[in-house]
Amino acid sequence: MSIIQLLKKRPRILIYAGILLLALLIATRLGINLHNLQRAWENAGVLWAEMFPPDFSVITERAQWTQSECTWSADWACSPAVHGLTETAQIAFLATVGGMLLSLPLSMMAAHNLSPLWLSTLTRQFLAGLRVLPSLVWALIFVILFGPGPLAGVMAMTLYTIGYLGKLQYEALEGVSRHPLEAARAMGLPRWQVARYFALPEASNALLSQMLFMFEYNIRHGSIIGLVGAGGIGWYLSNYLGTFARYDRAFAMIIVIYIAVVIIDQISLALRHRFMDSEVHAPRARWREIIPFIARR
Amino acid sequence: MPEPILRISAAEIGFEKQEPLLEEVELELRPGEIVGIIGRSGIGKTTLLRTIAGLIPALSGTVEAPVAKGEIGYIPQRLGLITHQSVGYNVIMGALPRAPLWQTIISMPGGELRESAREAIQAVGLSDKVLDPISQLSGGQQRRVAIARSMVQQPRLLLADECLGELDAETAKEIIDLIQSLAAERNIGILIVDHNPVRARTFCDRVLQVRGTRLEEVER
Repeated sequence: MSIIQLLKKRPRILIYAGILLLALLIATRLGINLHNLQRAWENAGVLWAEMFPPDFSVITERAQWTQSECTWSADWACSPAVHGLTETAQIAFLATVGGMLLSLPLSMMAAHNLSPLWLSTLTRQFLAGLRVLPSLVWALIFVILFGPGPLAGVMAMTLYTIGYLGKLQYEALEGVSRHPLEAARAMGLPRWQVARYFALPEASNALLSQMLFMFEYNIRHGSIIGLVGAGGIGWYLSNYLGTFARYDRAFAMIIVIYIAVVIIDQISLALRHRFMDSEVHAPRARWREIIPFIARR
Repeated sequence: MPEPILRISAAEIGFEKQEPLLEEVELELRPGEIVGIIGRSGIGKTTLLRTIAGLIPALSGTVEAPVAKGEIGYIPQRLGLITHQSVGYNVIMGALPRAPLWQTIISMPGGELRESAREAIQAVGLSDKVLDPISQLSGGQQRRVAIARSMVQQPRLLLADECLGELDAETAKEIIDLIQSLAAERNIGILIVDHNPVRARTFCDRVLQVRGTRLEEVER
C-alpha cells in the first residue's frame, strides 16, 4: 500500500502529523532541544547525588530557625517538618473557616435562584476577581503588606478560598430543587430567609463536602505559599532548596509532605463520603440542629 | 356569605402571550371552601397554582388574593420539603412568616411557635418522627409533614398541587381527612389539584376541569 493510498484510507494521520509538526516547531522556538535535555539529565545526576540519601533529621532535630515560636519541649515536635506541617495545617484551617464564613453569604448573593440578576452578576464578578490570582500571587502581595510569616499565608489563602469556595457554593445552591424555594416564596418570605432556611439546609451536604475538599486543597497549597515566605512547611523547603542548598533535607521534606498529603486526602475522602447523596441513600445533613425545640423534642 | 379570598377574572395563564395555557379564567374561592381542579397532565393546572401563589405573573386579567403577606400556603407537586432536614425543622418553617424578625435572625422560634409546631405534628400523627429526616419517610408521611407545615403557617388560602398523587387509597383518605379538617376547623380556603376526577368529586365542594384552554365547572 503506497503512502497516498494509506492517507486516503486514514486521513486522520495527516491531522496527527500536523499536530506533531506544530509541537516540534513550538519546541524549537522555545529553545527546547536535545542538547538542553541532555544537560538536564547530567544535572539531575548531580542533584540526585546531593539529595540521596534523604536526611530525616528534619523530623527528629529541633529547628534552629522558625517563623513562629515553637514552645514544645520535645525536639521532634519543633522539628522543621513537624513544626512546618503543623503551621501549614493551622494556616489552612484558619483560611478555610474564614473563607467559608465569608463565602457563604456571598454565594447566596451570587446564586441566580436566590438573588436578583444585578446582585448575582455583581457578586459573581467579585468572586471571579478573587480567583484571577492564584494563592501564590496573593501570598506574594500579602508578604509585601504584612511581612513574611503565617499571617500573610492566612490572608492569601482566605482570599483565594472565598473566590474558589464561593463559586462551588453558588453552583451547589443553584442545584437545589425549586420546589422548597417556591413553597417558601409563596409564604411571602424575604429572599434572605428563603436562602438561609430553605436553600442552605437543602444544599448542606454538598457545602460540607466542598468545605472539606477546600481544607484539603488549602493544606496542599499551604505547602507552596511558604516558598514566597508566607509561612508553613514550604518556607523550610524553600530555605533548604535555596539559601542552605541542603537537598538531602529538602528531599526528606518532600517525602514528609507527600505522605501528609496522601493521609489528608484519604481522611478527607472518607469524611466527604458521609455527606454524598446517592440514589438509594440521602444522608442526614450534619448541620447543627438550629432549632432548640427539635433538639430537645 | 364571606368575602372571597381568591378572585380570578378574565385571566390568561401561561408563559407566552401568544400561546396561553389557560384563557378567560374565572374563579372565586371563599374561606372554608375546597375547590378541586382536574385535567390531564401538562395542561396548565400547576401553572395556574404557581400564578395564584405569586411565583409567575398572569399574562393578562386579574388574579388577586386579598389576604395579608404570609397567608398563602403552597404545597408544590413534590411537596417542597427540605429532604435533608428533620420533620420538626420542616414543620416549624411554616412559622417563619409569623415569627418576629429577631427570632428568625437568631434561629430561635418563640415558645408559642414551637408549641404550634408540636400541635401540628401531633395532629398529623407524626409525634414519634420529629427528629427523622424527610428522606426516611414514606410518601404519605411526607404529605402529612407538608400539611403540618401549612397548619403552623395558618394560611387563609392553601394551594395544594397533586398532594394525593401516588398514594394508596387508605393513605389518600387520611390525607383527605386532614385537608377537610383544615377547611372546616381553620376556615382555610383550599384549591387542590388532583389527577383523579372521581376522588376529587368525593371531597371537594366544587370541581373545575381544564378542557383545552378553558377552566369549566363540573356538574356534580
